Amino acid sequence: MVPAIRLPWGVVDIYTATLRYLKRGVRQPDVIFGSVLFPIIFVVLFGYVFGGSIKIPGGNYRSYLMPGLFSQAILFGSNSVAVGIATDMSEGVIDRFKTLPIARSAIVVGRAVSSLVLGLPAMVVMILCALAVGWRPTGGLGNAGLAFGLYELYGFAMIWLGILVGLLARSAQAADVIISIPTFFLGFISNVFVDPANMPAWLRVFANWNPISALVTAARQLFGNSIGPPPPGVWSLDHPVVTTIGLAILIVAIAAPFCVRRYSRISH
Amino acid sequence: MTSPAISVERLARSFGQTLALVDVSFEVPPGSVCALLGRNGAGKTTAVRILTTLLSADSGRAQVAGFDVFSQADKVRTRIGVTGQTATMDELLTGQENLDIVGRFCHLGAATSRLRANNLLRDFDLVDAKDRLVKKYSGGMKRRLDLAASLIAEPQVLFLDEPTTGLDPISRREMWAAIRSLVSRGTTVLLTTQYLDEADQLADTIVVIDRGLVVAQGTPEQLKSSIGRPHVRVTLPDLDTAALERVRSALGDLAEIHGLSVTMPASRGLATLSEVVAQLEGMGLPIYEVGLEHPSLDEVFSTVTGHSGGAGLTARSTEQDS
Repeated sequence: MVPAIRLPWGVVDIYTATLRYLKRGVRQPDVIFGSVLFPIIFVVLFGYVFGGSIKIPGGNYRSYLMPGLFSQAILFGSNSVAVGIATDMSEGVIDRFKTLPIARSAIVVGRAVSSLVLGLPAMVVMILCALAVGWRPTGGLGNAGLAFGLYELYGFAMIWLGILVGLLARSAQAADVIISIPTFFLGFISNVFVDPANMPAWLRVFANWNPISALVTAARQLFGNSIGPPPPGVWSLDHPVVTTIGLAILIVAIAAPFCVRRYSRISH
Repeated sequence: MTSPAISVERLARSFGQTLALVDVSFEVPPGSVCALLGRNGAGKTTAVRILTTLLSADSGRAQVAGFDVFSQADKVRTRIGVTGQTATMDELLTGQENLDIVGRFCHLGAATSRLRANNLLRDFDLVDAKDRLVKKYSGGMKRRLDLAASLIAEPQVLFLDEPTTGLDPISRREMWAAIRSLVSRGTTVLLTTQYLDEADQLADTIVVIDRGLVVAQGTPEQLKSSIGRPHVRVTLPDLDTAALERVRSALGDLAEIHGLSVTMPASRGLATLSEVVAQLEGMGLPIYEVGLEHPSLDEVFSTVTGHSGGAGLTARSTEQDS
């Protein structure tokens, strides 16, 4: 083969790998069901069980909450990716792929793209849930679209982090633990559920600078769900869209090549 | 003069303190079947993983289909098929979908891929199961599908790592038949096995590996004759010491008594056998059986691995450290 056709083959390989993961994905209805059910539980739990006791100055708590829950769902999406890829690596099928003349990046990129696609049903269900409980984006359709674009971009970055952890972990169980702890802290010590202004100072600093808070702030502004100006002196909350886009691109730019190299080295 | 399909020179590989391969060299001529024979942990799988570009070596050279497995791995990958010990088929896809994915990864093009997949499904008796998910396949069917997937790109060289380990006797026979039919089409096969009968049944040449070293190699016949010549065995129906002693003395100095039988080297094969039969005729002894016996590969195996000497002992003592 002439070298010039190498790149197209790489694209074909990524397409093939994505196709494989998508087919696998739709054959695991229990996993899809779980990924859809989880956000619904969160909407009910936080919107009604806790939400009744949480007062937001001059606003509807459930409208305030929904952009946060979308972000949290995006963040927690990295867990299943980490576990999934760690499971993959422990199976013989990876050995077969490595003896085939395919681009080294194909399997991990295919995994990332398919995970993004397979996450869409859960996102759609969550949007419907949010609308059902009274959430309304009032910032216009274009801004709402931009907000969901941000979610997906950030989700793609989180998927790459999940792949990275899955490749570094020695087992699926280890991957689950390693990824769960930071995502749990990032998801809860943030402005997802409450305004960090009421937190103790040391937690407030973490919550304000937490990149998830930047994503949530960006989305609230675009949806028109904000309840006031961001806290002073926190650059990432003053420029939430730029922060979110920049960080997501940075994560993918660093994690993706690292994952491809790591994948090439794994052998059991 | 054709160049070898596989050429391995002084290959060595260790994992920490464990010496998986100490010094392994062998060649496999194109279109032949070579069996790497050895116990568990002898280094067979390590050798296959190096030859299939999955693992690097510490030292030594290895070529497959004329290309260096280290510096020309991509070229090697387009020319080999590999069936490992673990199942590599996706349980959540059907048999046909699995073959299709492998075909696409081999850049065959949709039409060629489909045609070959259909032929392979037919050859491996999987047509009825092609639309079933692989998780519903039996162990033998999974192995056959795995082998089919390894063949979809029509590889020049096929690697089979313990292709029949864990299979029931019938599936094992089916696997052997499948491998034989491949060889008749000109594919070079390197298989690893811990079963002597498998090596004997399938291989043109056998490389016996023990603790990372080649301890013997040759055709099955060469290996057998290197251990011992065929011998004639005369068996009596009952333990009759007097009768056994009469047979032994009739057959000459080289004859020996073993249990109910008398054996003697058959230096001229069948000619020796017919001479023995002629000698025994008319002696009026109750003979149960007279036959010509060849040494078995079992004897070869225990003889060569029992003599693997100092380097092998080093390897074994370091394995305990790990």
